[in-house]
Amino acid sequence: MTIREKLTREPIREKLGKLPRQLLLSEYFILILCILVFVALIPFIPVIASAYNMSSLLSNIWPLYAVAIGQTLVLIIAGIDLSQGAIISLTSVIGASLIATAADPVVFSKSPIWGWLLFENGGILTNHSAGILIAVLVMLLVGLLIGFINGTAIVYARIPAFMVTLVTQTFFAGLAIYYVKSENIINLPDAFTAIGEDSGGLISSALIITLILAISSQFILSRTMFGRWLYATGTNIRASIVSGVPTKKVIILTYMFSGFCAAVASVLYSSRMDMGRPTLGASLLLDVIGGAVIGGSSLSGGKGKVLWTFFGVVFLSLLGNALSLLNVPFFWIEIVKGSVILMAALLDVIRTRILQQQTV
Amino acid sequence: MNGNQSRQRLILTILKNTPTILFVVIFVAFSLLDHRFFARANFENIIASSAFVGILAVGMTFVLLTGGIDLSVGANMYITGAILAMMLVNGYPLWLSILTGMLAGTAIGFFNGFLISKMKIIPFMVTLGTLTAGRGLALLVTQSAAINVTKEMPFAAARVLGVPLPIFVFLALVFVAFIVLNYTSPGRQLYAMGNDPEAAKKAGLNVTRLTMLAYIVCGFCAALATVIALSQQGRLSASFGEGVEFRAIAAAVLGGTSLFGGVGAVFPGTLIGTLLVQMISNGLVYLQVDLYLQDMISPLVIFFAVFVDAQRMNLIKRLERRNIRVENTVGQAPVSKKIRAVI
Amino acid sequence: MDDLILQFCKVDKSFFGVPVLKNVSIDFPRGHIIGLIGENGAGKSTMMNILGGVVPFDGGKMLLNGQEYVPQDPASATRAGIAFIHQELNLFTNLSIAENLFIGNFPHLSVTPFLNKARIRSKTQEYLKMVDLDLSPDITVDRLSPGERQLVEVAKALSQDASIIIFDEPTTSLTARETEKLFAIIDRLHKAGKTIIYISHILRDVQQLADDIVVLRDGEVVQVGPKQEFSIQKMISLMVGRYIGTLYPERTSTPTEQVILEIKGLSKAGIVHDINLCLHKGELLGIFGLMGSGRSELAQIIFGMEGKDSGEIIVDGTLHTKQSPVKSIQQNMAFVTENRREEGLLMTSTVAENLGLVTLRKYVTPAAHVVRQSALIEAIRNSVSLLQIKVNDAFRSQAKGLSGGNQQKVVIGKWLMNNPSILVVDEPTRGVDVGAKYEIYSIINDIVSKGAAVLFISSEIEELIGICDRIIVMGVGEILGCFEKSEFNREKILQTAFREGGK
Repeated sequence: MTIREKLTREPIREKLGKLPRQLLLSEYFILILCILVFVALIPFIPVIASAYNMSSLLSNIWPLYAVAIGQTLVLIIAGIDLSQGAIISLTSVIGASLIATAADPVVFSKSPIWGWLLFENGGILTNHSAGILIAVLVMLLVGLLIGFINGTAIVYARIPAFMVTLVTQTFFAGLAIYYVKSENIINLPDAFTAIGEDSGGLISSALIITLILAISSQFILSRTMFGRWLYATGTNIRASIVSGVPTKKVIILTYMFSGFCAAVASVLYSSRMDMGRPTLGASLLLDVIGGAVIGGSSLSGGKGKVLWTFFGVVFLSLLGNALSLLNVPFFWIEIVKGSVILMAALLDVIRTRILQQQTV
Repeated sequence: MNGNQSRQRLILTILKNTPTILFVVIFVAFSLLDHRFFARANFENIIASSAFVGILAVGMTFVLLTGGIDLSVGANMYITGAILAMMLVNGYPLWLSILTGMLAGTAIGFFNGFLISKMKIIPFMVTLGTLTAGRGLALLVTQSAAINVTKEMPFAAARVLGVPLPIFVFLALVFVAFIVLNYTSPGRQLYAMGNDPEAAKKAGLNVTRLTMLAYIVCGFCAALATVIALSQQGRLSASFGEGVEFRAIAAAVLGGTSLFGGVGAVFPGTLIGTLLVQMISNGLVYLQVDLYLQDMISPLVIFFAVFVDAQRMNLIKRLERRNIRVENTVGQAPVSKKIRAVI
Repeated sequence: MDDLILQFCKVDKSFFGVPVLKNVSIDFPRGHIIGLIGENGAGKSTMMNILGGVVPFDGGKMLLNGQEYVPQDPASATRAGIAFIHQELNLFTNLSIAENLFIGNFPHLSVTPFLNKARIRSKTQEYLKMVDLDLSPDITVDRLSPGERQLVEVAKALSQDASIIIFDEPTTSLTARETEKLFAIIDRLHKAGKTIIYISHILRDVQQLADDIVVLRDGEVVQVGPKQEFSIQKMISLMVGRYIGTLYPERTSTPTEQVILEIKGLSKAGIVHDINLCLHKGELLGIFGLMGSGRSELAQIIFGMEGKDSGEIIVDGTLHTKQSPVKSIQQNMAFVTENRREEGLLMTSTVAENLGLVTLRKYVTPAAHVVRQSALIEAIRNSVSLLQIKVNDAFRSQAKGLSGGNQQKVVIGKWLMNNPSILVVDEPTRGVDVGAKYEIYSIINDIVSKGAAVLFISSEIEELIGICDRIIVMGVGEILGCFEKSEFNREKILQTAFREGGK
């Protein structure tokens, strides 16, 4: 925009008034919205407040939030990671194939891994004492690797982030399906399934794992040099380069972290479902990005907090929960989600404009 | 121009002509593998089955020229198709059904264009939202049921001027798009805007309106592609149009259209790109490559295309940097003597 | 009484509170060539941007053909008959010459929406002939040399029926032959009755072309008159003569004999050629040059932001082959770039976050790189008070809310926190008010007296003379001259810088 346009355009503050503006910018805007929506819905669907519903809602939130944490960091550096869904799918089937206790030859004989990774009596790590641990490590490693590929292509080939991750999304999603020829791998060992179990009540391993991830990410963001570098890179990459920030490393590591988070979520999802699903991550993207952006992380970079993303994810999940309790058909939920993404992006644009016109 | 720059210009020329080079290479490669490749019937088959992707790619070219993208074309196809099919099976006349469907598809393009040009939301976010909401809306209407329309839309096999209808429509669209892009004001202004939006505004061009136009055209093309695809496939299944945006983007970018805007042509560019995409997929089928692997090859093809695009753009930017020193040629006044700083 | 095509009447303009044009009143006689000269930052470009509708003005008014003229945007200026040929040409490189000329208003085939290509081509050929360009109208602009593109812009101006054509530093990228051609075209335009405003730092050219000359200095008109009244000497002294009362802090130290930075034979095709210099500990070395002389580019190469083709950079005795900002910082170098908004500051981050950015590495735990908050906060507070940065709360106020001078202090402070032994500053007092300027000089003085070495790039001769130990003059990517403190002389230095004029 030319200087002229910036100076002569009518400021948004005159259109909106002070209170709504402050509200929009508030960190807790979405949390307040959640509470309002929740409270407003109780008279219509009292079951929403039931312990069972809350517990089920929460257990859906934790893995989703884990993914969104990774996405938040990517958004902070002004990037985007569309490949998280595919990472979840791929790591799910890879992990499952390693530790399955049995595999039906009728189902799997055509798959490329039959005979060397997967056998009738299971995967290669099935009887290994530390099998599950190694399988989880392999999953995490795959997540890191795909993240590395993303970051490298963005930094060195200079292809826009959305294009790179769109391509990797399609490729690795395809790989996941090819890996098992569209079949789910079942018969996973109990020890693995235990990870994702709802032990009843609020505390579950999913919660603990996600919480650890969230706390360490927030720690990195707010208290370490790397965190400062992230914000700097996303705010102004050129100034960051001049100031000695190793932006190339920062970008690559951030995408690796995003892949890592997706892999962690995959462990949680796969163990909860007790299977390796090649389409596990297929429809998560919108919830993840929507949640992060609604929560307040900006698509244009330099802004984002792990806590905000939590509010955003809760909001979207609450919305979906409420809609399904109201027996709204699945398709309506998709429509609402799509509209919410549009509104989130619009909100982001408005917030950015308000901030631009303010001087503290 | 120094040696470094001339080498860079050579590389740039190669990068600019990648579509043609690639086309020739793949064509020759496959022909060598199977001499039936040259047969007219086979060629006709390739173009006919890729016609609807080509139509999509033409629309996508308009959007890419502005430096944007439209990920919602697949969902657009499903919505248009749903409206079309449902009207047909409910007894409405063919022309009315097609017209309504196309209006719907174009309206989606308008919706995208509005959010992008007026609300200034980035294209990929907008079209991602439209994609989700749109498909959800359509699935709601069709209840995921498949609708059979072979009876009502039998014209896929028809021939116009000796050419199968789908091919005819595709080529006619390429022709019209070519005229618009090269022989009308908005067409040339699209290229200008994609090259330098700031200079475009300074020159008084209405960038908002041009952006809107591009997305409306893309929506229209998606609707048109639906008509053709439906007539060829005969039925609207719940997965109609799923994943086509990828093939359309691949076709456009492989055809030389840049993701960064301002570069691209529907002829020969997008036309070649469409054929390329189809040839690759046909070739894979012929080589009996595992179906699942095929789904992995198409993203690799796109990656190759955008990789070439990005390198070309980087090279152009580097060559366009202004020089402070102008190299001397014979016959000009000598540059004054350099003075060494006293140590 | 000359017929006046354009008048500036007491025009004022400020950017972010800093006045750039003060009470400017100039009469432009119709059909004359008016040369507009002044140092960098004198206000020439701003004046033309106002005329061309790129920025609005704050006070006063403009009269075009006797009527009040208030352009809303560049397009209105074009419609009013004003063509502004910028230094950064506004051509679409992916379109042909003809398309560039008619991009805003293509002629059509009668009532159809189709372009009348024949007419476009023939009209373009007409205009190309007027500027003596023997090229096909269908050639895409990306294949043209800078000189040819320049002439295409002139053709564009003619096609838009411009009555006033502004040239802003048009010959910077032109060969001698292309420059001659441009002058011939300008002469032709002149004979055809066009009014031309010619901005250039190549005084010889201005003298040759212009009928009248306007000298700007610090946003004010110093003198206007027919060219006969101006010799090159006089032009230089008018541009340079400033209010003598500008104060510079007293230098208390002298440079040592120890060389801390040595550049040998540094060259980069098209940018710099055979640069040789030595920087000593405790020395304040100034680099003076006109716009486009290659100083900033040299600094970028030294700091590692850009590569070089040949030559050596020796920092503190060690030869460094592949430089990068990270490495330079490790070698205790610092670089205050010339555009603080784009490259110096994170505008939406707090002052504290900006200050701490470079020196972060020194305030983290060895293992996990956790920031030692209290130590860093302490250091930031020190920096703010030491540099007297005026801000409400460094830890909450955003950088963009600060005045230009304070912003610049934040950038300098950011680097100083890292204790550099070599500090490169590029136009550090640009857009900074007088009070803050003095403070910045004092800060730089202070670190030099403590043993650091400073490379001070500036377009203001006075400040260089006021604080430097030595001044190097650059032009066209080369070193043109060197002045020891005893030889400091405003006019001689400026003359050296102008020596490359006209090629």
